[in-house]
Formats: sequence, C-alpha cells, structure tokens
Amino acid sequence: MEKRDLIKINDLVWEIAKDFRPDMRVPCRIYSSEIMLDEIFKDRSLDQLVNVAALPGIQKYALAMPDMHEGYGFPIGGVAAFDAKEGIISPGGIGYDINCGVRLIKSDKVVGEIKPFLEKLGREIYKEVPSGVGKGGRLKLGINDLNAVLQGGAPKMLEFGYGAAADLENTESRGFLSAADASMVSKTAKDRGSDQLGTMGAGNHFVEVEAVDEIFDGAAAEKLGLFKDQVVISIHMGSRGLGHQVATDHIKIMLGAALKKYKIDLPDRELACVPFNSEEGRNYFAAMCAAANFAWANRQFITYEIRKAWSKIFGNSDELKIIYDVAHNIAKIEEYDIGGKKKQLIVHRKGATRSFLDQPVLIPGSMGTASYVLLGQEKALEETFGSTCHGAGRTMSRAKAKKQIRGSELKKRLNEKGIVVNSGSLAGLAEEAPEAYKDVDSVVNIVERAGIAKRVAKLRPLAVIKG
Amino acid sequence: MSYKILPHTADLRMFVAGDSLEILFSEALAGMASILNKKIKIGAEKETVKREIEIDSPDQTALLIDFLNKALSLSQINREVYTRAVFKKFSPTFLSGTLEGVPIGKFDEDIKAATYHEADIQQDKDGSWKTIVIFDI
Repeated sequence: MEKRDLIKINDLVWEIAKDFRPDMRVPCRIYSSEIMLDEIFKDRSLDQLVNVAALPGIQKYALAMPDMHEGYGFPIGGVAAFDAKEGIISPGGIGYDINCGVRLIKSDKVVGEIKPFLEKLGREIYKEVPSGVGKGGRLKLGINDLNAVLQGGAPKMLEFGYGAAADLENTESRGFLSAADASMVSKTAKDRGSDQLGTMGAGNHFVEVEAVDEIFDGAAAEKLGLFKDQVVISIHMGSRGLGHQVATDHIKIMLGAALKKYKIDLPDRELACVPFNSEEGRNYFAAMCAAANFAWANRQFITYEIRKAWSKIFGNSDELKIIYDVAHNIAKIEEYDIGGKKKQLIVHRKGATRSFLDQPVLIPGSMGTASYVLLGQEKALEETFGSTCHGAGRTMSRAKAKKQIRGSELKKRLNEKGIVVNSGSLAGLAEEAPEAYKDVDSVVNIVERAGIAKRVAKLRPLAVIKG
Repeated sequence: MSYKILPHTADLRMFVAGDSLEILFSEALAGMASILNKKIKIGAEKETVKREIEIDSPDQTALLIDFLNKALSLSQINREVYTRAVFKKFSPTFLSGTLEGVPIGKFDEDIKAATYHEADIQQDKDGSWKTIVIFDI
C-alpha cells in the first residue's frame, strides 16, 4: 500500500476505499495528520486495518486513531464495530491485556505543599504497590473470592472493604460488566491471576504522581474538580496474567472453531473470530467481561494501596477521589444508528478509549512526559463509534532503547527535571524512555482538531513508580 | 543454539530453526526460557521439575505457538522455567510429553503470550525447519 492509495477526506481523516481489496466489506478511515501518516506507513498497521475491514458483520468503517501502530490481528489504535446478530467477535480486537486502562485520582493539595514529601511519597507508593515482572501481591484470593471478583469487579472490592461507593460513580461501566461469567475463565487463567490483584506488573504500566500543568477549558476543569498546580495520581495497568491467559485460551478455541465450524476466511490467525451470536462467541465475551472486571478490581485495590501510602505521609486520604477510570482494550455492546435503524453492535476498542459526550478521557504520556485529560465529544458518536486515541505508540524497540539509553542516566535526567523515580529495574526504565515513544502532544492535538475529544488539562509528572 | 532474538519495536521477535520439527520445538522452548530468565544455562541446567503436557492444534504452526503458551502459563503459575521437552508422541497436530526445567526466583521478562503473528513453520531445501515467533511482552 502507498500513500496514493489513500483518499484525503480532510486534513485529518484519510480513507482506504472499499474496492482497494476485493474482500473488504467496508472502507477504512484513519485519523491522522499527513506528517504522522508517513510514520504509519513504516509498519503494517494499515494492512491490518484492511484485514479488519474484511471481517463479517463490520459496520460503516474499520477505524484507526492517530496513535495507530502494528499489533496482533487488529492494529493498536483500532476501532471496529460488528452487528451483534450477524457479526463476529475477535480477541485480537481487544488485545491480550484485557481492560488495560487508566484511572485518575485527585487530591486537594498543590505542588508546593507536596514537594517536601515527594521522595517519601514515591517510596511509600513503591512499597505499597507491588511491581515488577511476575511479582505477586499481598492479596492472595481463594477460588471463591476470585470468582466473586471476576463476577463483581470493582464493586466486589468495595464489599471486601477496599474503597467507597463514590469510587464507582466515576468509573467506566461503574467498574464491572454484568455479562461476566467466571466459569468461562479457565483454571489456568485463574491460577495465573490469583496472586496478582493489586499489582502493577512491569513494562509501560505505572503509578504516577502528577501536577495539573495547564488548563485548556476552565469550566470543564472546574466540573471535574481540577485546578492549576493540583496534585493528581494516575494508574495505568490492566488484567495481568489472568487477562493474557483468557485471550490466549479463546484465540486457540476460535482458531479451531473458525477454521472448521464457521468457515470464516482468516487473512491473519490473530484475527481469529467467531460469530458473536455463537456458543464460542458468547463464552469469550463472558470471559472477557470477567477479565475486565479483574482489571477494574486491580485498579481499585491499587487505589486502596495508594491511599494507604498517602495516609502514612499526610495523616489520612479522604481527599483522594476518583476523577475517572477508562478502559482502552475492551469490547462493549452499544447501540448506534446505522442507515436509519438502531442496531446493537459489538464495539471493539484496541488501544482506543471510549469518548462519549462529556465523558472524561484519560491519555497517559510516556514516562516522564505529559498526560492529558480530555472530554468526549458528540462527533465521536457520529464518526468513530464514540472512540478516540489511548496514548502514544513506541517508535524505538526495547532492545535499541536499552542500548542507546542508560537507565541510571535517564533516572538522573528525570531527577534533574524534578521528577522522583522509583523503579525496580534500570533496564526497564531505559526501555520506557520518552524518546522511545511517539509525541503524545501531536496525537492529542489531532483528536481535538478532528472534534472527537477536547482537551481539558495537561498533567506533568512529579513522581514515577514502576516495575 | 538455533534461536536468535531479532529487532522488534514493541515486543520480542525470535527466529528459531531445527533439523526436525521436534528439535525446532525444543529450540523454541529454550529460546523462550532464555527470555524469561537471562541466567538460565540451556543444556547445562540440572532439570529438577517436570510437568506433563498434551496439546492438539489445527496445524504445526499453531501447535508450536500453543506449546509455547502452555509452557509459559505453567512457568508463571509455578515460577519455573523449562529448558527441555521430552516428547512421548509428536505429530504436526498433536504432542504429548514432559517439560523439564528449574525453579526460578524471578522473571526477567513478562511475556503475555506467544502470538501467531508472523509464525509460519517452513521447511528449507536442506530439510531444516524454521519460523519466526513473536512474544507479546
């Protein structure tokens, strides 16, 4: 594929026509500037998007956000909606880390108040939130409690005593999906996840203490309870080994089922899919919902751990309240107008965030760079199945980052910018260097100009806690 | 050693080869072991743990990926790394046997899964087998 194969709809939207390839059922639409498009052509994400456009039951467009890059099956930054009656469901359209997402917590404090305590706060959070590769947590659930968490998500953690009712009011789907069925999650997945609740993992997952650096929309900020120089805390993580195993298990089942029973033509194995309205489809969706509930429970327990750390420094943590919690790897059943008719669709968001009107959208930057709070806009519901970007993709391999950047020097560089770093691995730190990622400012700029989300505030890091 | 880590922007890409399919599978297992724990000495470890496995898949490429994912999940659950596979039965769509390995204190890499992306076992003119495996980390 070349740039001349794309039709320019406007400065920020590009189309691959339905007749580009004979098996395409709908066109593709890509939200990107022309400059970023040149970067996108460096990997196979556009070919992956065309493959998505060929899947049965897809509606309107196969969509990609400006942070799109090559994934497994679907591109990351991809959005696709399928007819719930006649279309498919595909684990590749959600990702291995089911309900990887972001939670933002606000405090009443400003940067000046917290600065003398920043090192101590970073250390306390690092002590409270287990992080690192394969690290288990303090909360080791027996099978009955684990099943209850898989069914009940974040609300179940409240019943266990790890939060307040107000926490759920500002969580996407109130922190649980009722379609979950713990019996659809394999013993292997449960064994992988049983000691991982309240753990961060490693890689690009983190807890970050941040300051509100810039307000773009005063009225919207006030409504969210955000103000300049306010101290906030971001959590970025997902369903850990449990979610990864759910994806692995069901891709294997579907590869068998798709090939034999449903005779679906797969241009790519990682697009393994079955009719949503099938036993295998319903089973995967139920397991995906259970894994999503586990991720919300995870972020809820980590909130509890952060509150503990905060209380140790400041006496109590009543001021720590949830601004919002979003998923960016998930499938949801949502209703949309398609050709004048209301239709139930399975909206797959893989590295994409729901962006309903006036809903907070949380976009984490790479470590040490800005993050953003935005609000969803009406245009997202009209054009992108209520979706927007999720962050910035990598531009440099982990191996190259480790070769070019020394973890100790990066830590020193961040410290010199006033950012406290608590990390279990200097090599892991180097892998997540800001220069290894695309520019999140550009990505956010594009979604705002495209009208699918609107900037409210920019956050800058004060303390980074990671595995 | 017939595996090699190749460049990949976000995750890990491994090239693996073997004179037979069984050797290819064993080399892939060893390659994954070396990713999971960099201090593992393939071929020199005294394997003290054994796990029975049995897998069926639509074809040999899917069987390889499913085999690696089985080893991975057992690794993470039991905190072990498997450096050797002893096959009792082996065909392009079914295998049974034993994974042998050692307990480990920590993992060096958090592998989410072995993916089917770019995986395609092919036989060269000289009779050797090869493929790429990409691990989502």
